[in-house]
Amino acid sequence: MIGYYISLAMRSLRGTPILSALMVAAIAVGVGASMTTLTLNYMMSRNALADKDDVLFAVQLDNWDPHKAFHNPSEMPWQLTYKDAIDLLRSDIPSHQVAMHRWGGPIALEGSELRPYTVEARVTSRDFFALFDIPFIHGGTWPHAADNNSAYQIVLSQRTNEKLFGGENSVGRTVNFNGAPFTVVGVIEDWQPSPKVHDLNNGDFLESAEVFLPFGLHRALEIYPWGNTNGWKSEDINSYEDQLGSEYVWIQYWAQLDTPEQMERYRDYLTGFIRERKAQGRFPRPLKFGLSNPSEWLALNEVVDGDDRMLSWLSLAFLLVCLVNAVALLLAKFLRKAPEAGVRRALGASGRSIFSQHLVESGCIGFAGGLIGILMTLVGLALIRQLAMGHMDTVASMNWLMMLSAIGLAILSSLLAGLYPAWRISRTNPSIYLKTQ
Amino acid sequence: MLKMQSIRKSYRTDTIETHALRDFSLAVDEGEFVSVTGPSGSGKTTFLNIAGLLETPTSGQYLLDDEDVGNLNDRDRSRMRNEKIGFIFQGFNLIPDLSLFDNIDVPLRYRGLKGRERKKRIEKALEQVGLSARAKHLPAQLSGGQQQRVAIARALAGEPRFLLADEPTGNLDSLMARQVMELLEFINEWGTTIVMVTHDPDLARRAHRNIQIVDGQVADLQHGAASATAEIA
Amino acid sequence: MLELRPILSALWRHKISALLIAVQLGLTLAIVGNASVVIQERMERIARPTGVAVTDIVTAKFMPVAKDYDRLRAFRRDLDMIRQLPGVAAATVSRVPLTGGGSRTGLHTKPNREVGATSSAQFWGDEQLVDALDMKLVAGRDFTASDITETSFSSGWRPSKAIVTQQLAGELFAGGEALGKAVYLGDEDNPIEIVGIVERNLGPWPNAPDAGNAVFYPAIMDTQWFDYVVRAEPGQRDAVAKLLEEKLAEHDPQRVVTVKTLQEQLDRYYAGDNTMIKVLSSVAGLLTFIVALGIVGLTVFWITQRQKQIGVRRALGATRSAISRYFLLENLLIAVTGILIGVAAAQIFNYFLASEFDQPALPLSTTLSCALILLGVSLTATLVPALRAANISPATATRSV
Repeated sequence: MIGYYISLAMRSLRGTPILSALMVAAIAVGVGASMTTLTLNYMMSRNALADKDDVLFAVQLDNWDPHKAFHNPSEMPWQLTYKDAIDLLRSDIPSHQVAMHRWGGPIALEGSELRPYTVEARVTSRDFFALFDIPFIHGGTWPHAADNNSAYQIVLSQRTNEKLFGGENSVGRTVNFNGAPFTVVGVIEDWQPSPKVHDLNNGDFLESAEVFLPFGLHRALEIYPWGNTNGWKSEDINSYEDQLGSEYVWIQYWAQLDTPEQMERYRDYLTGFIRERKAQGRFPRPLKFGLSNPSEWLALNEVVDGDDRMLSWLSLAFLLVCLVNAVALLLAKFLRKAPEAGVRRALGASGRSIFSQHLVESGCIGFAGGLIGILMTLVGLALIRQLAMGHMDTVASMNWLMMLSAIGLAILSSLLAGLYPAWRISRTNPSIYLKTQ
Repeated sequence: MLKMQSIRKSYRTDTIETHALRDFSLAVDEGEFVSVTGPSGSGKTTFLNIAGLLETPTSGQYLLDDEDVGNLNDRDRSRMRNEKIGFIFQGFNLIPDLSLFDNIDVPLRYRGLKGRERKKRIEKALEQVGLSARAKHLPAQLSGGQQQRVAIARALAGEPRFLLADEPTGNLDSLMARQVMELLEFINEWGTTIVMVTHDPDLARRAHRNIQIVDGQVADLQHGAASATAEIA
Repeated sequence: MLELRPILSALWRHKISALLIAVQLGLTLAIVGNASVVIQERMERIARPTGVAVTDIVTAKFMPVAKDYDRLRAFRRDLDMIRQLPGVAAATVSRVPLTGGGSRTGLHTKPNREVGATSSAQFWGDEQLVDALDMKLVAGRDFTASDITETSFSSGWRPSKAIVTQQLAGELFAGGEALGKAVYLGDEDNPIEIVGIVERNLGPWPNAPDAGNAVFYPAIMDTQWFDYVVRAEPGQRDAVAKLLEEKLAEHDPQRVVTVKTLQEQLDRYYAGDNTMIKVLSSVAGLLTFIVALGIVGLTVFWITQRQKQIGVRRALGATRSAISRYFLLENLLIAVTGILIGVAAAQIFNYFLASEFDQPALPLSTTLSCALILLGVSLTATLVPALRAANISPATATRSV
């Protein structure tokens, strides 16, 4: 019977093109608006590290001002000091661990036609690729020694390798970065998590690094990070060495703890770590550290902010108005066809089949609304990409799942909208429509 | 075939102006052609609606094919309507959006027949009323008489044993009316029981038996029937 | 003349449809009211005076390709060159305000204090800093060439003079005179004398709670993170930007140069607020449109249903305007019901938004002006079908079927 109902629905929609178009438009606009914001929220809530959600932990240590906690929900600085990061790296408890920060500079190729250009860089310890499961296309990471001593080695992203070397295996070649020659040791597949869960300090949805440099280069290059540096204490900084030894926090730290035992031991280790430093007169606040897995980290950093969530609520309210609108129009449309329903009843249709027939008609309106709603969502996302001026490029896009959800949402809404009108018409006494007035 | 015992029907809605049936009793035998007459508002339509299972009586018993329909739910009543009863209305009540073919298809769909079976029956029904060539036309493209013939074809396609006609010729001129009437008589001869509501005494007389409803009750039952048959002969 | 009773009884028969329209209008009022108060807040935020000549300023950043590059020498040479360029009013090397990136410090009015600092943005620049940003000096003096130190962050250098914004001066020395007083960095006893006060500067983060607090130090810092801040003569900005790009590359090809206008950077900073404004406005507009469509659809339907009745009324002597008036009055009743629902819903909605998302409170006046607009839209949406209804011929009454 479904097929019959669908063909009846088509006929009925063609019969009242304007009213039908109004309803399809109402559903489409409602779906378009809510799917635009829901897509944004969905994309913003993604967790690129979901696969390792049980074993990766962002490390926070509370070395902050004794008089005032760090101003964030965790009341601990997001980042660590350089000296604590260096000390933590010595622990052998985590399976992998990474100390890192954002940097950048001009990159050039000796004897190349290519004009020098600026790239985003990440200065990191060698485990970065293993910890975040980033596969190498060529070569591999730098040796352990490079995390402590200056070694002019560099790992390129696939895109950078494409740009500089036309995609060929560049391991062993030399590039000029920030004025110094670096030897390429590896090329990784492009890794662009969005949101940038591994570093949420500067722009959650911006692009990730294009080159990676060893953590042992700080002294040699006097690297000041391209990220946030926060301090609370007034310190005499008379040299780069003072900067490295200061209470400034600017290093992000992740540890991989595969087993509960490792977790237990690492907690003990961190407790001891802070106690030791308290004994030296540092860490003036009550002993506190944080180990957050990627999903907790995303929540803590409020990647989906109040504005985004407010827009989602608003657009659901919008959809509700569109639904009420659709109910009113469907009711009008169905009641206009009450005589036909009366004839069908006389010819043997049960109340239930009249109900189903009209519900199917609502569903068809929903399907059409969903299709147009997808188009409106794409337009809405494009507008948002443009309005956000690059802040949203990686999240304002739709995948298949969201497209299917759009259609699902549209059909569900229109079925909901159709329930009352369909019930109403299936309950109408047929005999009053059969007599010629 | 049809047996009504002490049927009572009263309306409380202010929008519909229909008189109640009071202590209404009637029996129609298999194969009969019964006409129902009566003044406006006497309860003819209410009788037809109850007979056609479109409405339920307030009280009383109604046996259709020896089955007490008072106890049936909407679904079973719809099924019975679909399988046993055919309707013909004064206003034809064809669905304007559907072609003749699709109009006749409606009751067959609700019976859940297979596509091939439906097609066969529709074509046969159209042939019976002489409109095979116009299967694809919309009702609006037909004259009143043709529309009523389609409505009859639609009623016949389900091969009902019981045909209810409400002023079937009311909207037609006399030539068309005669044609429709002849069609009904033809159908009756093939065994279908017909109950026809009319206010036209000439038509009423052509039935086997005439029932008059006055003020919600059957008036002068036995006598009318005998004389009507006699006059036709 | 008001035929209220028959309208009410007719509406009662269509109560569900009428209620649906009223609910739609109510929800729309709740959404539009709350959206407009947010829009208003964001627009006011963006419209705040920045204290800086946003439309005339061009910024240029460079990164040397060569190692051991003498950045301070490059700053001096470039600034000399830039100041000679046609159309340039003033130029300095500093961090660019209003871009979302910068530096913040805590200031005290007494030496050796650890707690109770006033948070403020900090800038460094040479003697053209105030002029290049086009800030208005309201007290004291500007920096002179002799005030300027060339140094770096790791040198341990401390400023001895500063210019502050009026707002910061007010926060530091509540009510009192700030000029000539000293401020201190946390836990230090090095006095920094306030030599000048500028009217306003929103600083690096205009949406931060401490926006408007800014302190300027007379120094050129040797670091990657500085831009040339160049103020063009009015109307010359784009020409200066183009010239700047050319000349900087020409002056020293061993570097990557990025030239931007301040306007573009400020727009990018406000992109989030701007997105909110645009999205909320479209939501409000679309919603009103949808509701209007719904009203048109239903009015047309009702009129079609009552075509015969209207014909009969006309035949019985009703004038055209009486017919139109009937439908307008009917709509008015529905709309007023909807608006009553909406005023209540708007308050509930606002309570939720205010407690959950820190949105501003919704004043009754905003709700009422939105209500008036919706009422107008609702009546306009009824007008077209109502006028058409008035054209229904009285002959309809005599036509059967």
